[in-house]
Amino acid sequence: MLNTGAGLPPPVSSHDVIVIGGGHNGLVAAAYLGKAGAQVLVLERRPIVGGAAVTEEPWPGYRINTFSYVTGLLRPQIVEDLQLGSYGYETILYDPQSFVPFPNGTSLSLWNDTERTQKEIAKFSKKDAAIYPKYEEYWDNVLDLVEPLLLAPPVPLQELVGMFEGPQAEELVRELFLLSAWDFLDEWFESDEVKISFATNAVIGEMCGPRTPGTAYVLAHHNIGVLDGQRKVWGFSKGGMGRISEALAAAARHYGVEIRTGVGVRRILVQNGKAVGVETAAGEQFHAKAIASNLDVKRTLLELAPPDAVPPEVRRQVERFRTRGAALKFNAALNDLPEFTAAPGRPGPHHKGAIELAPSMEYLEKAFDDAKYGNFSTHPFLDIEFQSASDPSMAPPGKHVMTCFVMYAPRDLSGTTWSKFKPTAGERCLDTIAEYAPDIRKQVTRWQVVSPEDIENTLGMSGGNIFQGDITPDQIFSYRPLLGWANYRTPVPGLYFCGSTAHPGGGVTGAPGYNGAHAILEDLPALKKG
Amino acid sequence: MVIGGGHNGLTAAAYLARAGAKVVVLERRPFVGGACITEEPWPGFRINTYAYLAGMLSGQVIEELGLARHGYRTIPHDPEGFVPFPDGRSLSFWADTARTQKEIAQFSRHDAEAYPRYLRHWAEILKLLEPILGGNPPSLRELAERFRGPEYERLLRDLVLRSAEDFLSEWFESEELKAALGFSACVGAFTSPRRPGTAYVLVHNSVTQLGGRAGAWGFVVGGMGRTTEALARAAQAFGAEIRTGVGVRSLQVQGGRVTGVETADGRRIESRVVASGVDIKRTLLALAPPDTVPKEVLRQLRGFKTYATTLKFNAALRRLPKFTAKPEVPGPHHQASVTIGPSLDYLDRAYAMAAVGHLSDPPFAEILFQSAADPSVAPPGHHTMTCSVKYAPRELVGTSWADHRAAAAELVLSTLEEYAPDIREVVEQAQLVTPEDIETILGMTGGSCFHGDLTPDQMFSLRPFPGASDYRLPIPGLYLCGSSAHPGGGVTGVPGRNAAQVMLADLHQTPGSGPR
Repeated sequence: MLNTGAGLPPPVSSHDVIVIGGGHNGLVAAAYLGKAGAQVLVLERRPIVGGAAVTEEPWPGYRINTFSYVTGLLRPQIVEDLQLGSYGYETILYDPQSFVPFPNGTSLSLWNDTERTQKEIAKFSKKDAAIYPKYEEYWDNVLDLVEPLLLAPPVPLQELVGMFEGPQAEELVRELFLLSAWDFLDEWFESDEVKISFATNAVIGEMCGPRTPGTAYVLAHHNIGVLDGQRKVWGFSKGGMGRISEALAAAARHYGVEIRTGVGVRRILVQNGKAVGVETAAGEQFHAKAIASNLDVKRTLLELAPPDAVPPEVRRQVERFRTRGAALKFNAALNDLPEFTAAPGRPGPHHKGAIELAPSMEYLEKAFDDAKYGNFSTHPFLDIEFQSASDPSMAPPGKHVMTCFVMYAPRDLSGTTWSKFKPTAGERCLDTIAEYAPDIRKQVTRWQVVSPEDIENTLGMSGGNIFQGDITPDQIFSYRPLLGWANYRTPVPGLYFCGSTAHPGGGVTGAPGYNGAHAILEDLPALKKG
Repeated sequence: MVIGGGHNGLTAAAYLARAGAKVVVLERRPFVGGACITEEPWPGFRINTYAYLAGMLSGQVIEELGLARHGYRTIPHDPEGFVPFPDGRSLSFWADTARTQKEIAQFSRHDAEAYPRYLRHWAEILKLLEPILGGNPPSLRELAERFRGPEYERLLRDLVLRSAEDFLSEWFESEELKAALGFSACVGAFTSPRRPGTAYVLVHNSVTQLGGRAGAWGFVVGGMGRTTEALARAAQAFGAEIRTGVGVRSLQVQGGRVTGVETADGRRIESRVVASGVDIKRTLLALAPPDTVPKEVLRQLRGFKTYATTLKFNAALRRLPKFTAKPEVPGPHHQASVTIGPSLDYLDRAYAMAAVGHLSDPPFAEILFQSAADPSVAPPGHHTMTCSVKYAPRELVGTSWADHRAAAAELVLSTLEEYAPDIREVVEQAQLVTPEDIETILGMTGGSCFHGDLTPDQMFSLRPFPGASDYRLPIPGLYLCGSSAHPGGGVTGVPGRNAAQVMLADLHQTPGSGPR
């Protein structure tokens, strides 16, 4: 083929849609587009698809959820539409949902059964135990309101507020958008142990403390899980988080989607102001009618799009979109499960769920205070899972795996770097666990620290933010990722968002992929006409 | 009947009497004024013990009640603000924008150029919000409908969901300027300019006018107490009766309606309508009989934040202190609000410390030398100084206010010393007013001088809680006329005026049968 010289080099191939990035949302978007009959190509820089939803084997026989580690948020409609079950997606609902040990040897477990949880709460406060079913009911009502908003483009906040009338509705707006988790939980409960058991979900992944206004919304975001027909719950993806992405990729291929791994995108090609294709790191060019970016808004519009394609005002907005990394992962291979002082014996039911090491609201707030000034928390908060305790396929016979989501870990450390600091960070994680499970060091044979810097570099997530942008109230709904560009379209015609950077935000929900695909499908006939 | 003769109680009483209602104000202390008073702790030194600056008082209230006739006079200050920095530089805010721009240019040319645009933007925001802040609060739904479209959507995000730092960073690059402007985001709420919702606090503290100039602050000639004296005179001129030294022990409720009060000495006074100028927690948790408040309301009250923790350090001075950043004595900067809070980081750290129960060290402060502009408040040649110091939590971890007074005073002096090294020499006498004092002397829950924090979750129709923002409380016949109601704290008179109008509407609607 001849290069005419004036235009772009001839394309290697041409598709209807190119999806940049094979993270779970990119795959969801590709599958829905393929299902609707579009010719779709997915380009993934890494050798495996899945983005943050992958399972790797850093040590032979030990399957580790390197980044994302539990499931629950994936929208049931997506599981059903794409028949993910037939491609190997299976979940294990865990119970208790969380086990919180306290330094004095007591503990609180949140079970899937309300009455059983009430009994646990009653150890700390009878009043709180009595009100707990009401609290559950409150979240059920919120879910009823929020669920229909997830698989749809976001409505402007005013419209959302306008839907509410009367003091009760005003109360809801106040609680969900304006309150801190601390204030919110204070209004419900009196026991600090009870409050902290619910509070960890309000800060997870966010550079926010429980006292930061708006964190009550983050709590809501993490309460939208549905598993086995039960609401507000979490579980494991059997075989690891990677199975979700593998199932999505299989579903996409079934619909004719082409997926290429090991192909990074260097830039988005724009002609006459319109996105027309991509150029890979190797210099290959692919053309398409529409480009869907599974990457965050910063990477998409500041790095991949040509500078002159993005108006300066939009650039400024993009720069100010907050993508603060807040967490690291501490993953390990174990000889055996550690024994917790607060619940002797192994395996106990708590080994099969999530274990939260954050014994008080103040502890959590102080951990955040450290990070505000560029330090890894002196006393970090850890969210720990031993998936192998309920899913033996994750480790060699008799052995176990442990993943810990650890906060707060700022992207940039003051006075040091992550590469220098990782060993210290790892030791600090072990020390913290040892306060509750003294034999932890005896059980751990190998460990790895995945720092916010690693998350940024390995996955390409700006700032190492796992949600592709904080999910605080100023960055949700029609503010996500940019005011005026919350409907998955971008200032560059033909370029779309289909990742967590768009509504309804982070977590393995599949929702941005679903919504992004539908925006493209709406526009595709017009795009094809040119 | 109005419980509490603070400025809002007096305003409500004046409006009620002006419309022909028979009004009595009951004030526990021997004099009226609440937090808006001027006292003479040392002969000849007139000190604004609590509230210290004028500008927020509604122009409507001043005019409609004829306060000028009753002795209310103000002096605008120019410069309005003076911010010294540790490196010896300083920033003054003048009434003349061009002059302020020159000051800003020392720190950033870009910011100096952006400043007039910022002021215009701010003026537009205030024009939009002033009618809302002056009137009864609209419901969130009404607000949402009134402000449709992307432009308002951005405003909603910037003012309600974002921090003052986010807001200011859209405009400016200089840390010094951002700190100087971000300071007011910490006045009236226990928060830091880095925390979401604080851009709104900036708005609240900008709705001022003095001598006909919007956005201006200044002094009340003779001290803040002159404001409440004028209000009391106006109320009395309209026929209201004011009884001081009469504390209220409880509200009388009969058949689900408020019928009057019982005083501290056991007397019962009846009234068809009772307006409480006391904060919402005290009103419903301490004065109302326990079984008259719905359970759901009790839960909401528990969540109503009354932090806003301020310490006052007031002093009699031999002479004005000399600031390293501006050695001139006296200089125009002595008439300004001198703010110690040189960076947003400084303010944020002060907050973080207080959030875990300690007096901020170093604290930030707003200092006024009223005598520099108004010699009537000090003996000839002498001066007064009032410092509003933050944050001082109501409850201290590991100590009590009684034990911590000396240390707190020392901390204030050593903080000031960094900017004005001769401060210890010039102070003749000093008094410390702790949050505990504010709570016990004035009866303000938590020592919160705003009757509840001015954060977005406690404003408009959410203040004091959804369903009660129209000044009517859940017990029929009982109204809220103080700063716990919309639009909140500060010497504005607006809650008093709005509440009076609601009461008058209810009184007229059902003649004979009493109000709702």
